[in-house]
Amino acid sequence: MFTDAANFDVRDYLRKEMMPHFLCPGCGHGIALRALLWALHDLAIDKDKLAVVSGIGCAGRLSAYIDANTFHTTHGRPLAYATGLALARPDLHVVVISGDGDCLAIGGNHLIHACRRNLKITCLMLNNEIYGMTGGQVSPTTSESRLTTTTPLGNNEPNFDACALATAAGAGFVGREVTRHVPKLKELIKAGLEHPGFAFVEVLSDCTEVFGRKNDLGSSPEMIMRQKSEIRPSAYRNTVETPFHSTSLPTGILTQNDRPEYGAAHRRAAAAVVAKGAK
Amino acid sequence: MSETSIDAAPAVAPSAAKPPFNVLIVGVGGQGVIMVSKVLAALAQWRGFEVKQSEVHGMAKRGGSVFSHVRFGKRVWSPTIAKGEADVLVALEWAEGLRWLPFLKPDTGIFICDTKRIVPPFACLNRTPGAPMRYSRETADEVASYVAEGYAIDATTMAEELGNERAANVVLLGALSNALDFPVADWETTVADFVPKKTVAVNLEAFRLGRTWVAEARAPAADVPLVHAPVAASYAPRLEINADWCKSCDICVKLCPERCLKLNAERVAELAAPEKCTGCRLCEWLCPDFAIRVHLDPQAGAEGTAR
Ligand code: SF4
Ligand code: SF4
Ligand code: SF4
Repeated sequence: MFTDAANFDVRDYLRKEMMPHFLCPGCGHGIALRALLWALHDLAIDKDKLAVVSGIGCAGRLSAYIDANTFHTTHGRPLAYATGLALARPDLHVVVISGDGDCLAIGGNHLIHACRRNLKITCLMLNNEIYGMTGGQVSPTTSESRLTTTTPLGNNEPNFDACALATAAGAGFVGREVTRHVPKLKELIKAGLEHPGFAFVEVLSDCTEVFGRKNDLGSSPEMIMRQKSEIRPSAYRNTVETPFHSTSLPTGILTQNDRPEYGAAHRRAAAAVVAKGAK
Repeated sequence: MSETSIDAAPAVAPSAAKPPFNVLIVGVGGQGVIMVSKVLAALAQWRGFEVKQSEVHGMAKRGGSVFSHVRFGKRVWSPTIAKGEADVLVALEWAEGLRWLPFLKPDTGIFICDTKRIVPPFACLNRTPGAPMRYSRETADEVASYVAEGYAIDATTMAEELGNERAANVVLLGALSNALDFPVADWETTVADFVPKKTVAVNLEAFRLGRTWVAEARAPAADVPLVHAPVAASYAPRLEINADWCKSCDICVKLCPERCLKLNAERVAELAAPEKCTGCRLCEWLCPDFAIRVHLDPQAGAEGTAR
């Protein structure tokens, strides 16, 4: 697991001229980005064969720092762009980086249909329970009673369990990990990248400046240390049975199946049409 | 096993007037502490004594501390031995033996200890490769000076030479047999009863070896190597910290397991205690700003392979 740690220098995968990045001090998204780049390094994926598509938000911004083919798209739509890209260019590794608001609210419809099609795309959803960039509004994953700009008295809406949602919608691979466990997160993303169908990886990340501050969760180190007490090692995999439990979340690979990948079926159908036309 | 009733006159001392004879047997999980105490208890019972034995062995699977109190005499009430009351302390592991020394009778207690050392994880608080461990550093001679009568036996090596490392506890049982007045034949019958049938021969040999070793009171074995000797580091960790990228979030400082980082006057991460850094890379991995890179430089002189 750690064998490659010495060879992996994250700076080889960054657009150094863009650094330091714009994320706030202690923001978990930087750690998630490292895990993704480390996984790509471990799999020896050629930067020219890598396409990173992202939406809007703090998480959406991450694609700008990756030294590869990157595409910063419109709010909630990275999966739509990625679908077109993956269908047209099956030779590329298509990775989507999205936030909880981007992926589940604005882009919720795109997510369920991407899961349903099971097209080979790796979708990273960085979940920090808030819209950080726009000033801290409630998101579909904000836990109950949490304070946000739009829930000044505490959130009383039930929140989504994104992994249960993706599983129910048919994703071939679903997993969850926290930023605290970088090597484990890297291994999970790696497994997602290797999966032949749609892979949904939820990364529990910390928004230190907005969510943490509003909810009095302490300093950046305190927040990242808190992650350990909130997760549950993957002993229980009952997300589908009990979807509305936001704390004590199971981590690891939660779903993995061999539903047929959509891209191949699409190309076969297209080839058939072409063959017919040629007759 | 016992055909003699407790009312029958004990065949050997201690006499009825004497308080019970106390033997404390200690070690770590898996060494056979309980087996030693069972042999002793069964034999004492067979010889007509009342016996009380109590033990703690819950940590056995984890290599934790295991101990067993054996008390026998005309009449025994309490099942445990109080501090300073043990006539004999048998230790199957060096540090465990030292830990229990206060239980030995100060003037007459006999200390029989295997020099085998099993280093527990807590003795390795400093995780720097090659760092010294906080394991007992007393030499056998020093320890011998603390007790009335002491024997440091390399029972594990003796048992290994017999072809069965697991018989080390029986070597110590043989050593213990010198301290008690039971006939050798009875000891051997009891040992044979308690060990697996296939290993009776090797265990009896081990018993005799331990018995004669103490009888001859040979000089303690020279310092025995540690079971897990520290491995000399083949590399030296070096941190490259990019001050321009560091945002003073404090994560590396607070999450470094060795607490060797700090924020300096400019509130930039700095390696304040380089000698404590183990090169674990946690700071590199958790820095959200990619400001730390850990290098493991091959150590001068050593044939270094970076992890
Ligand atoms: S607002 Fe929150 S999520 Fe956005 S960069 Fe700052 S800490 Fe990170
Ligand atoms: S590598 Fe970093 S985290 Fe590990 S001991 Fe050294 S300074 Fe601390
Ligand atoms: S974790 Fe990184 S950004 Fe935070 S204080 Fe340490 S070096 Fe600086």
